[in-house]
Amino acid sequence: MSLGEGQEMTNRTLNFEPDRRHFLALGMGAAAVLVLPGAVLAAGRAADIRTLAFDGDTLLIAGATLRSSPDGGRSWHDRPTPSPVSSIATHPARPGRLLAGLARGGVTASDDGGTTWTARSEGLASGEVTALAVAAGNPDMIYAAIRGDGLWKTEDAGATWALAMDRPWLDAAERDPLTLASVDLETGMGGIWIYAGTEKGLVRVPDCFCRWQDVQPGNAMDALVAGDAPPAEAPLPANEPVLSLASAPSTPSILYAALPSGVWTSQDGGVVWTQTANGQGSAIAVHPSNENHVAAVLDGTLKLSRDGGATWTVLAVV
Amino acid sequence: MRRIAIIGAAIVALSAIGFAVLAQSESDDDLVEGLSFLGEPVTVADIAAGETLYAENCASCHGAELEGQPDWRRRLDNGRMPAPPHDETGHTWHHSDRNLFIVTKGGVGAIVPGYESDMPAYEGILTDDEIADVLSYIKSTWPDRQREFQAEVTANDKGDL
Repeated sequence: MSLGEGQEMTNRTLNFEPDRRHFLALGMGAAAVLVLPGAVLAAGRAADIRTLAFDGDTLLIAGATLRSSPDGGRSWHDRPTPSPVSSIATHPARPGRLLAGLARGGVTASDDGGTTWTARSEGLASGEVTALAVAAGNPDMIYAAIRGDGLWKTEDAGATWALAMDRPWLDAAERDPLTLASVDLETGMGGIWIYAGTEKGLVRVPDCFCRWQDVQPGNAMDALVAGDAPPAEAPLPANEPVLSLASAPSTPSILYAALPSGVWTSQDGGVVWTQTANGQGSAIAVHPSNENHVAAVLDGTLKLSRDGGATWTVLAVV
Repeated sequence: MRRIAIIGAAIVALSAIGFAVLAQSESDDDLVEGLSFLGEPVTVADIAAGETLYAENCASCHGAELEGQPDWRRRLDNGRMPAPPHDETGHTWHHSDRNLFIVTKGGVGAIVPGYESDMPAYEGILTDDEIADVLSYIKSTWPDRQREFQAEVTANDKGDL
């Protein structure tokens, strides 16, 4: 490089005169600098969502921490929890009461929508609380699945816990419930069902905890006893985990499930399922009084449906 | 002569009625109040027979005092569940008479297809009447709350055997 060339470059730089292209490029760059971090943050926050729930109209998302939106996702408020959350549960009869199963073990509860939290783990086994559900007919009855342990229950809103039953046995091994739903459909044993999603599919147990079993049509036992042909079924895909499950409190026979293949729904308590959305489903929740109002995490994005999963709107979590 | 025959027939008829009433009153005394199985009344003799049959056929797993196997909520190494208690601490009282009868006679697989259990089907081991006696005995041990709960579950079970 000669001295003359260097001088020429310096002079060219000094003589820089911006044109329209430069202004356009500069504007786009500035916009990217301003918008991208927000978008990345929003995407990151959506990807952090481990579990969803509705507390009345308020949508709750939780993972590393808990956030709530009282206005359908337009605004979000931090509701810091004592530690990262694996599972959350609410009950329509207890507005403002949030129960959080913690990734490091234990259950914590809030009676003020997540502003303050109190430990509710007396007698509960240690280990990640992979799933949590409140009994549909009794808001003080709560079920918790502990990774590597079993299904626990409390009858006094978490003051004391006792083992209810071991984990379901599927494909020659015990399987952790990854999600629980109290489904207000009669078992014929004086109670209702608790459904569990596992890495090996969907199972359920009556709330008398006699035995884990596959979901069967209501008259399957009669058909079996009578030797009749079993009623029609269309189960969830056999080779997929059931990562999240929700029963609509307003119509308990309507179930939603999030699977790696998408969102699936059942109108009959889990006997016949149909796919309503494609994508990597990981979490789902249904509004307490509107069975068509559903929130889901699909492909790492938080989405909302007002028509039972037929169409979805992306929600930004900022 | 004819009058004597009529009087004799009347005495025989009255005696028969008297014996029948007496027999009926003895049977009533023998019934266990508030307890039935599959809609049939249960007698003290049924329960006594059931207790003996339970000791011979069920107690080795479900416990002499109906207490079940230790730690019965935890799965065995073979993946099956231990025998649960049949007293009020277990779940037996959540099941209808029909359900209990079908499970005892045909095994758990008779109501949950493919379910694996260590409990055998008692068909061919016990008669239907004996199964009813065993289950009547178990029901007779329950406190009022559990008995009333199970009576309601049974009343709501409209299925056939």
